Amino acid sequence: MPPKRTSPQKKASQSLPIHLNHCINSQKRAILASIHHPQPLVEKEHDTNVLAAQQITSLLEGSVIRGEGNSCLLLGPRASGKSKLLDSCLEKLQTKPIVIRLSGWAQRNDRLALREIAIQLSQQTGTTFLSANDPTEEEIENEEDANPFLDQDPIQHATGSTAVLPPASHLPALISVIPTLAHPTVIILDAFDLFALHPRQSLLYCLLDTVQSCHAGQGRKGLAVIGVTSRVDTVQLLEKRVKSRFSGRTIRTGPPTTFTHWLGTVETLLLPHVRHDPDDDVDNQWKDAWAASIDRFLADKAVEEILNETFSITRDFRTLVRLLTALVVQLTPSNPFPLASQLQSAAMTQRARPRFPFLSSLSYPSMCLLIASVHSETAGHPLFTFEMLHDLFRAQVRSSTLAPVQINGGSIGMAFETLVTARIFICASPTSSNGAKGYLKYRSAVERDDVKKAVEKAGQVNMKKWLTKAQ
Amino acid sequence: MDTTHPGYEDFTTQFSTLISTMPPPFMYINDADAIQTTVAVIDNVLNHLLSAPGPSKISYARADAIACFSARLLYESIINALASWTPQWEDGAVNWGADNGVRWNDTFDGFVHGLRAVHAYLGKGKKKEGDVRLVVVVERAERLIPELMVPLTRLAELARVDLCVVFVSEAPWETIRPPLGASPDPYFFDIPPPTKEDIVKHLISKYSSHPPLKPLYTHFITTLCDVCYPFTHDPHELAYIAAARWPGFVKPVLDANKRDMDLDADSDSEEAFQPPSEETRMRLSRLFNPSLSLALDALYPRLQNATDWAKANEPPPNLLDHPPTNLKTVVPSDEKDAGITSLPRLSKFILLASFLASTNPPKSDLRIFGRGLDEKKKRKRRASGKPTKTKGGVTKVAQRLLGPTSFTLDRMLAILGALLEENDVDSRIQGHASEFSIPGEETDMEISRVAVYAVVVELTSMRLLTRTSAVDRLDGPPTFKAAVGYEMALCLAKELDVSLADFFWEVM
Repeated sequence: MPPKRTSPQKKASQSLPIHLNHCINSQKRAILASIHHPQPLVEKEHDTNVLAAQQITSLLEGSVIRGEGNSCLLLGPRASGKSKLLDSCLEKLQTKPIVIRLSGWAQRNDRLALREIAIQLSQQTGTTFLSANDPTEEEIENEEDANPFLDQDPIQHATGSTAVLPPASHLPALISVIPTLAHPTVIILDAFDLFALHPRQSLLYCLLDTVQSCHAGQGRKGLAVIGVTSRVDTVQLLEKRVKSRFSGRTIRTGPPTTFTHWLGTVETLLLPHVRHDPDDDVDNQWKDAWAASIDRFLADKAVEEILNETFSITRDFRTLVRLLTALVVQLTPSNPFPLASQLQSAAMTQRARPRFPFLSSLSYPSMCLLIASVHSETAGHPLFTFEMLHDLFRAQVRSSTLAPVQINGGSIGMAFETLVTARIFICASPTSSNGAKGYLKYRSAVERDDVKKAVEKAGQVNMKKWLTKAQ
Repeated sequence: MDTTHPGYEDFTTQFSTLISTMPPPFMYINDADAIQTTVAVIDNVLNHLLSAPGPSKISYARADAIACFSARLLYESIINALASWTPQWEDGAVNWGADNGVRWNDTFDGFVHGLRAVHAYLGKGKKKEGDVRLVVVVERAERLIPELMVPLTRLAELARVDLCVVFVSEAPWETIRPPLGASPDPYFFDIPPPTKEDIVKHLISKYSSHPPLKPLYTHFITTLCDVCYPFTHDPHELAYIAAARWPGFVKPVLDANKRDMDLDADSDSEEAFQPPSEETRMRLSRLFNPSLSLALDALYPRLQNATDWAKANEPPPNLLDHPPTNLKTVVPSDEKDAGITSLPRLSKFILLASFLASTNPPKSDLRIFGRGLDEKKKRKRRASGKPTKTKGGVTKVAQRLLGPTSFTLDRMLAILGALLEENDVDSRIQGHASEFSIPGEETDMEISRVAVYAVVVELTSMRLLTRTSAVDRLDGPPTFKAAVGYEMALCLAKELDVSLADFFWEVM
């Protein structure tokens, strides 16, 4: 994108009167806050997420108010607002249910998941999560008394006095107790697809079985199991016996579908509602200046192009958040209004990232090794050892004078290690403890063209000559 | 805010703005060249923010992913640091919160509950809930235990408190990102490599000992960075080299000054120290400049430590009085050499044989070492000359660059026999000549002695040979690899008077 386009804005952004300096900080704070807790836009009636919110609310109400057993899958691409939607729906509920949150990333097996259910239940229901007249509890207690070894169970020690847990063998029985609790329960399974990968899917089976057998009335409270995932084929992952107990209800969320909506989001994020003193001249002055600058900013062709690119590549809201955050933190009193060039640099670091941004400022031995690796690849050896590169380097130094020559000493070996830690050279053979270090096979992660550009930018004639020899 | 680290101004303002207002839940700071400096800067910023007045109280923990090699260590160090708790040895080194019998370090779930507990504990005195912000910095994140990577990147959404995870790493995020989009993409910071001017400024700002010498130190650091900067951009390494060279560099000046002081001891000895003249400075530079790159050679790969190097390279007293000569720099000798040259003769032959066995392909053995009956003595066979050139194909890489191949013990013993027969027979006492009638029979006996096997085992334990087959494997002969390099083999051959060049299949 030619930087010229930003020129009309420059004169506007040059200076900021000193009395407005404090305003920019509060503005930055307000924007960052609005980015992190975005207010939902006024959306159209048929928007996917609005529909999803309605469906989820009715489902939750069914469980919480009418005591039904419900299960559903909340499906949508990453950062399309699944969790946010669920949270807002839960907040709007009249009666507060017990909410148990599990995540497939943290609870890697069913045992951990059950433990976590038990802990969260006991946290939210008080000291004991089993109501007094429940036969299951007595059963557990009897068994506990009968078996003194269970007291040695590490789980009990781990969670300590605040949450007394039943022994591990009784944890599965816990799930069948959930509908008998005093409050309705909502279980949210984040990364639902990972739970389906657990062996035998026993947790899902137990949960969904309890949901299915949960009938309204009989003094029992409702239970809702909501799976949240971005994996489209999650239902196919379920075993037959689990699938038959799952309601099959899938609620979808989606990213914004039109570019105008996307632009509108940007505008609302950049123009958050800052609490102003309507009589304060300074505040009003600032408010107008800021609004005008945002108008100018969004009207800029370059800005629109970057935003459009982002929208076309990914409709990931988080990418947009990162872009705008990077834009906003660059604002200073000397440069108070956003510029297209700043958005451009933000896009460079946050969106379309070059793989190795500082290749041209590598140290001299590292650069030599990089060129040697290009030579090795041209010679038909994409995999190389340190000794091969070192040999190429020595040969080059012998045949021409490659300024600052330094063969003896380990700086070239250290440079190799630097490249390995920066993952520019990637180990291609299994590391073994007994093999000599210099003979491990590596390959270069940097393309030839990138090396060429880097060498040209570094501007050392000798190295450029050496590189051009690799044809 | 932070003046000791020039070149980091942009990063400092942006990072502190984010942390003090609304940090993204996950940030990634990538710095390939000077990670220690970056971590120091982050520490500085966060320490500054701890005390700064702001809407939210910040508490931060820094954990080194290398030091925290188990999940439990990581949990403990993060939670203890967040709660500003130092385990005391006297109390049995209890962790924070352990007194009420709750453990936060057993599983990841426990850790998340611990974070919430810390958050609640820190927010207790506050009026409003959620006034506390936790910042968890994980340095060298590329070395994190793989199963912790994903949960840590999602820590904020799992813990559901105001929390920000910062990864600092030498590797770019793209190379360590967990597959299948398991982690959300972080907010990126890329730290550019420090420029020479910034490093010079930084190193000079650290100087604190003797004010009159500061101009000389400035000059010294500038020269040092001119010489060494092309080779490494890490300020820590440059500071290390400076620390090793500076005492020697300044010694002539101090010597001269001391002598002057002694001369006019009667006068006021508290007189201000005279900084060296421009001419002296030039002389010093000329004297010491060559040693700077040698210091880099020895110290950057840590062939020697700074103290020893400084001691070994101390200039002679009163250097400035002597006519200008070149300073001698002691180059550290490779200590491995000494160990090998003092080995017994048989061990040296075995090392040589193992090197040959590791370097030559097995099919070449007969052509190199084979001797007909009629030519029983010293038939010199030229090595096969240049490597065969295949048209259009890929050129073969010399085996010595690819590393040693493994060989069976029997093959090595056969080569040993050939070597001994050609180079060692004459040195034997001709005592039992009568017992052996067939040529080479005596050598055959020699190589099957128990001593040979014992030496092989001993050399393996010294890591001069590497065993590649499992120790408990019974079927087949054991296999080994040579661990001596080409230079070492040449040196051994010279001592044993073996013309090694004749035995190479490829041109070395």
